[in-house]
Amino acid sequence: MRLMQLITRSLREWIHPLAALLLGLAAGAVAILAVGGSVAETYAEMWKGAFGSFYYAMNTLARATPIMLIGLGVALAFRAGFFNLGAEGQLLLGALAAAVTALYLPAPPEMRMIAALAAGIVAGGAWSLFAGWLDLRFRMNLLITTLLLNYIAVYLASYFVSFPLKDTSGSAAINQTNMVDRAVWLPKLFKGMSVHAGFIIAAAAAVVLFLFLRHTIAGYHLRMHGSNPLFAIYGGVRRGRLMMAAMLASGGFAGLAGAVEVLGTQYRYIDNALTAPGYAWSGIMAALLAGSHPLGTAAAAILLAALQTGGMGVERNTEVPLEIASVIQAAIILFISARFTYAFFKRRKARSSDGPAV
Amino acid sequence: MDQLFDFSLFNSMLRMIAPILLAALGGAICARVGIFNVGLEGLMLTGAFTAIVGNHLFHNVWLAVLFAAVCAGLMSLILAYLTISLNANMIVVGVALNFLATGLTTYCLFAIFHVKGSYYDPNMTGLPKWNIPQISGDSFLGILTGHSPLVYLAFVLAFALQFFFFRTVRGFRMLAAGEHPAAARSLGIKIDRIRYAAVLASGVLCGLAGAQLSLGQVTQFTENMTAGRGFIALVAVMLGQNNPLGVTLSSLLFGLMEAISIRLQGFSLPTQFTMMVPYIVTLAAMFFFKDRAYLQQSGRIEGR
Repeated sequence: MRLMQLITRSLREWIHPLAALLLGLAAGAVAILAVGGSVAETYAEMWKGAFGSFYYAMNTLARATPIMLIGLGVALAFRAGFFNLGAEGQLLLGALAAAVTALYLPAPPEMRMIAALAAGIVAGGAWSLFAGWLDLRFRMNLLITTLLLNYIAVYLASYFVSFPLKDTSGSAAINQTNMVDRAVWLPKLFKGMSVHAGFIIAAAAAVVLFLFLRHTIAGYHLRMHGSNPLFAIYGGVRRGRLMMAAMLASGGFAGLAGAVEVLGTQYRYIDNALTAPGYAWSGIMAALLAGSHPLGTAAAAILLAALQTGGMGVERNTEVPLEIASVIQAAIILFISARFTYAFFKRRKARSSDGPAV
Repeated sequence: MDQLFDFSLFNSMLRMIAPILLAALGGAICARVGIFNVGLEGLMLTGAFTAIVGNHLFHNVWLAVLFAAVCAGLMSLILAYLTISLNANMIVVGVALNFLATGLTTYCLFAIFHVKGSYYDPNMTGLPKWNIPQISGDSFLGILTGHSPLVYLAFVLAFALQFFFFRTVRGFRMLAAGEHPAAARSLGIKIDRIRYAAVLASGVLCGLAGAQLSLGQVTQFTENMTAGRGFIALVAVMLGQNNPLGVTLSSLLFGLMEAISIRLQGFSLPTQFTMMVPYIVTLAAMFFFKDRAYLQQSGRIEGR
């Protein structure tokens, strides 16, 4: 009996995301038909591009790695009731800090690798903490400051990599740092495959975050503040501290994503290499898709990465452009959001005035 | 300093802020009825793209502008339906709408024009430049002349909206719907209808903003050509305290900073720093002009 209940309950939880996924694919089908492509062929190519062979599947997981970490950070902040849209800036500064540490720290390689990962976390966390501090101390709207800090971080990182840290030995056309020593690289999980140890870190982080939110007192406080800040404060949760901690951790995840991407895939900081694939916004999408559930966010990150690598496969082999993936992604999120009644909606109901939802 | 500040600087400033101002006015209308419209960016991008499509289809720049306004308006109805009728979270929907606009415009760029990246057709006519005959281009007032009609429209609309909100009954009802929905409802004001109208208006305004972007300066569409202007508009709404004239001032500030940042590139500073200027100044401005609604809310939360 209990098993039956469990099954029906988990079915009910899954039915909405699955329906949204199907509707998203249906919307994609309309878009494919609009350019005169064949739906079946396109989706077959998409599947092949994402999971068609071991190599492609591992490629998808490699792409999912930064999305997962960013998504987890964003999910953490969302759960606590803070809209951190600054993942991009946090990601970039984390990546830059990791690259600099890996290049210039005088220490043995293993130490340098760990230090570089830590530097990424610290840099991303600090950038995010700054936005949190501005909100707490000066009441500057977090959503807006995190967005603005993105632009500043993009230009700041671009400056460092174009002038003081620029690799002058190679092609002058690309702004990039020197290459990191091979000994500091994150090991690949399989020989010749692009997936690296960062994926294990991301998967472990998802489990840790899940356990933290579910089974610790601090996690409970965080969720309570996200669901109903007034109640949480009445119950003795210290808002300022919680906000600083949540923003620090949230940015730390994004910074770690940057560090892992530098040490595992690119081996140097390349200007625009992290902004062009849209990792940060994909991470935010993953958190939204999963309703900020850590394990769900990890799964959603893999789904989004699969859509993106699948989209590349579609572009290689059919007439349909790669952007079909973005159309499907956005459609899925819109369908999901229709039910996104979650903590924010409850908060909205709890307030008498309907001001900004942040 | 006379190299930094001259008339052409202010002239280019007016041109640059027109899209931001139009979108920000849309955002202000939404904010007044209690909707935080994060989708401005996507709506503007939709407008920019459909303006080019309209131009391609109708070979008439005015019909193109109309087409852009209609398409962005339709797009905004998605946001309205999800947030108002289905009670979805508005920030989530706004963010999703931005994704949708980016994906759809790039996808349709390929589907319709079979190009990637950007589309440019030399046969396309852009928006005309209107000269005010009484003003010669050399005097200080010269900064006011020679702009596209949408630039003038943006400023006229700012004053019109100010009048509408604070001097007409309809405007007052709109404010009431945002200020205290329950009280407004008890007076028989149809809140949902007002909210739909507000979101639709913001969509139309963003469509015009996009049209100014793609048809005003150079007649072309580039992937993601809004480049964060929608978000800047959001900041302008906040800095301007949801007040049409305040929004105009904050847009002017941002436009001035952007114009200066372009000008500063002549001073052999790294471009990254000059490009950063508008964002840093905006951040600093946020320090002085705070969002009242946000203050109220966080104040309530902290019990202050």
